[in-house]
Amino acid sequence: MRCEECGDKLDRFVDRELTNTEALEIQLHLEGCPDCMEHYEFQEHLKRLVKHSCDCDVAPQAFRDKLRQILS
Amino acid sequence: MAEPAAQTAFAEEALTHLDTLYRGALRLTHDPDQAQDLVQEAYLRALRYQHSYQQGTNMKAWLFAIMRNLFWDRFKGSRKEDVSLDDVGDFVLYDKLRDEGAKPEADVLDKIAASEVVAAVDKLPPLHREVVLLVDVEGFSYKDAAQTLGVPIGTVMSRLHRARQQLQKSLYDYAVESGIVRPSGQQDQVQP
Ligand SMILES: [Zn+2]
Repeated sequence: MRCEECGDKLDRFVDRELTNTEALEIQLHLEGCPDCMEHYEFQEHLKRLVKHSCDCDVAPQAFRDKLRQILS
Repeated sequence: MAEPAAQTAFAEEALTHLDTLYRGALRLTHDPDQAQDLVQEAYLRALRYQHSYQQGTNMKAWLFAIMRNLFWDRFKGSRKEDVSLDDVGDFVLYDKLRDEGAKPEADVLDKIAASEVVAAVDKLPPLHREVVLLVDVEGFSYKDAAQTLGVPIGTVMSRLHRARQQLQKSLYDYAVESGIVRPSGQQDQVQP
């Protein structure tokens, strides 16, 4: 696999959207290519950062209670 | 109307997805009161149309679709033309950092506060923002995201890719402004 193909599939690899075979090919390329590995780790890190930053917001308990009343 | 017991069970199951809906509504409206209104209306509508929910399918995706459709109806008058993203081209934080010899690049991300990341997400145009919310924050598959948003999977992928580039640009701008990284061409200064 060439770096270009790896780059094209990086989003789908990070999002666990590749088939097992495709993912394995990427994995093998990453193990032999420090450049792509660093790029991958960065993308993975960014995805985690976005998740954890936005995860902090949860519905207030009072709102949850109110909804439960309305819906029952 | 469903039997009371069935309705309660439905409501209870639906409420297990409340945080996902609330977070989504908050990021879409940027306002906690409006987010609560939107979510409440979405739940009422879900209850009214519970017969159209197919058991065994993804209830979270179904609920999210109701909420975001309400958002677009109410706040955007159903006009889904999006503010186009600036063409950031190949400009990505990762490439900039590498050009500037900041290694390892991922360490820079650790220095960016969560509130700045949320601000960068909020700055995305809504059609791009909601893809990031579904896939990155809530962990939806491309397929579920596509179904929720009523677009082809290819559209999910292209919006996601552009959104991530834009996010990186916002975070890069922030990192430069706050001195986390120095922009290209600026010499390192030795601190006294
Ligand atoms: Zn490579």
